[in-house]
Amino acid sequence: MKTKVINWIDKRFPLTSFVEHDLTGYPTPRNLSYWWNFGFLAGFVLVAQIATGIFLAMHYKADVALSFDSIQHIMRDVNYGWLLRYMHAMGASAFFFVIFVHMARTLYYGSYRAPRELLWWTGQGLLLLLMATAFMGYLLPWGQMSFWGATVITNLFRATPFIGDQVVVWLRGDFTVGDATLTRFFSLHYLFPFIIVGAVVIHLVALHTVKSSNPSGIDLAAKDNIPFHPYFTAKDLYGLGLFLIIYSVFVFFIPNALIEPANNIPANPMMTPNHIVPEWYFLPFYAILRSVPSLVGGVVAMGLSVMIFAFMPYLDRSRIPGGARYRPIYRIQFYLFIVDMFVLGWVGYVPPTNQTIVIGQIATACYFASFFFVPFISKAEERWLIKRGLPQEVMHLIEEEKLEKSKKGDKQ
Amino acid sequence: MENEALSNSDRRDFLVKLTSVVGGAGVAAACVPFVASMNPGSDVLANAETEVDLSGIPVGGMHTIAWQGKPVFIVHRTPEEIKEVEANNGVIDPEPDSKRVERPEWLVVVAVCTHMGCVPNKEGAGFTCHCHGSQYDDSGRVTRGPAPKNLEVPPYYFIAENKILIGKAKA
Amino acid sequence: MNKLITILASCFIATSVMASEAKLETVKVGTDWPTVEHGLDTYMANCNSCHSLKYIKYRNLVAAGMDKAKVDALRGDKPMNAAIMSQMSAEDAAQAFGVAPPDLSLMAVARDGGVNYVYSYLLGYYSGPEGSGNHIYPVTKMPDILGISSATDPAQRAEIAEKARLITSFLSWAADPHAQERIHIGYYVIAYLFLLTILLYLVKKRVWAKLK
Repeated sequence: MKTKVINWIDKRFPLTSFVEHDLTGYPTPRNLSYWWNFGFLAGFVLVAQIATGIFLAMHYKADVALSFDSIQHIMRDVNYGWLLRYMHAMGASAFFFVIFVHMARTLYYGSYRAPRELLWWTGQGLLLLLMATAFMGYLLPWGQMSFWGATVITNLFRATPFIGDQVVVWLRGDFTVGDATLTRFFSLHYLFPFIIVGAVVIHLVALHTVKSSNPSGIDLAAKDNIPFHPYFTAKDLYGLGLFLIIYSVFVFFIPNALIEPANNIPANPMMTPNHIVPEWYFLPFYAILRSVPSLVGGVVAMGLSVMIFAFMPYLDRSRIPGGARYRPIYRIQFYLFIVDMFVLGWVGYVPPTNQTIVIGQIATACYFASFFFVPFISKAEERWLIKRGLPQEVMHLIEEEKLEKSKKGDKQ
Repeated sequence: MENEALSNSDRRDFLVKLTSVVGGAGVAAACVPFVASMNPGSDVLANAETEVDLSGIPVGGMHTIAWQGKPVFIVHRTPEEIKEVEANNGVIDPEPDSKRVERPEWLVVVAVCTHMGCVPNKEGAGFTCHCHGSQYDDSGRVTRGPAPKNLEVPPYYFIAENKILIGKAKA
Repeated sequence: MNKLITILASCFIATSVMASEAKLETVKVGTDWPTVEHGLDTYMANCNSCHSLKYIKYRNLVAAGMDKAKVDALRGDKPMNAAIMSQMSAEDAAQAFGVAPPDLSLMAVARDGGVNYVYSYLLGYYSGPEGSGNHIYPVTKMPDILGISSATDPAQRAEIAEKARLITSFLSWAADPHAQERIHIGYYVIAYLFLLTILLYLVKKRVWAKLK
């Protein structure tokens, strides 16, 4: 019976062929490590956030007079409302954690390099959409931190040349963050996740065109690929189990660890809290923003700090394939960059003092230096590694690439 | 080899089946909070019971109160009205009056016509629904259609001499 | 390499000790309902005259396990769905103290330090030759209700500390009435996930064993 139905569908819709080509039979390198689980985890968290978000929206009221109370109504009166709320709040942090690891994997293993540039850039776009979604969502509880965080960040658009002030008012729908801002942020916060879903589809289409990279960075022979199902479905589900344990510890035992106490106070436009702090996933970028004394300079630096990742495929000029596996200098750069992110995160969190400001400025300089020096260091490292001697398969690949390039030159 | 109770592939099938069942149970359990959240919350349920003070209603008078968002008629019946309704069981949907009241002088009925849901008016002896012409007697029993059933009697009981709690029958 | 990173990281963490206000005392709140109810009694006796609990309704007390007759006595003629408001109106209190006493429904989670903050604040009043005030929140307009600043006898101080603990326990419940239910379900969820993850691990191992 099932086969008959499927045959009927297959004559009208590429169901079986799609499933076999892109899901079950999809060729995947056999040596993928657990660092490759995080794309799937991000997709799972996206679905969880949409599900919890839709059910929360059944009870949430987007009106400055009602929103804070509606959250308390959800926490106290709605059946399992407290669970939906904590899942959604912890889910946002989980989403960024997963995405940061996913990005770190890509940087470490050089998965952004040709022919995967478009895959990297669609991912970049997804990161921006996620940040916008999280920012707008954070206003909705209408707590002190919600209000003042939104005030500070919408103020940044003042940096727009010539029409800065008008842009800020246009964004807010009012001269200050108010009811107009809240209702439109709710509307867009509901919309953006579905744009993200579309962008994820594009991201996956790009992935399926170039196929996954792997820890060696060298494209494997066809015989070294294995079908996605059952190998990576099993591995992804196991990784999901581990993830859910950590996620559930947060949701059920320490949900308030990631909720700023000041956000349990209703927004008061007349009184700024002593210590305005964004959610942890924005801290490094917030630190970079504050490191530059001028408004425009700070905004440019912060914007650049997020966008600069996009240049990696062209900054990295080494022909040693893949990422850090065969490149000890690049590996050190990577680890230093991670340390720098943590330093910036800490600078973004603590109240600014003369010392922390200087530390932040040094860390910001290191942040941009990491990218600035990649072209030079990568080339120097390549020369040093070739002189030192590289494994056979790596040399082979470099030679092949040289051949391809010269062939192209002849044709032209 | 053949003598092993379970071959390797059998063992793997059992493991996969077991894991699928355990996983499926988890997925089902995870759906519960979502579905449950759509049910009335504790604040709505608290409003599901309404206390009514009867002392302000004179003999022959009627109050309309809201219960669970619906109108409820509270009628203080006269002795003549009581005698009338006790004389018969109603025409279309037979039911003795004694089954419809806790105390004969108080009628408590949901003021929603059992035809299409309009609110009837108290007119003379009984109630008339002006949407399609249904008529009810002083016990809320339908005497003329198109309504098929008598007016609904909500669960209620006397919590004090002159107070009723609508929404709960006496435990 | 990893050791170097660890050392660097811990240096930064160590220097992140916050600018100090007075140090907070740790309190062990009671989460069982009898303690919370005892805390409610203490709260009603000491705090209810000025502070409101706009998110706690009388029916929440019944649902949590308080005797209905006691709740009826507490609410008088106010309906079950009414919140436990202060006896003094906000305007009168603002006039008397200069600022309206804040609502306490969420106080246990609205300050850095949570329950430790509330407890330390109640016991943070001092009075002496250098003046009087509160170590934890120096600009407070609230008087020393529990009387800690004038208590010298250790038994008396212990009694006041216990009152503060009870009030804190009640406020902790008020801020998150479903906390115990959440933790209870949490144990089952974690246990289930452990079981499921082990099974998923075994399936993964079996599946991959097929590979040459």
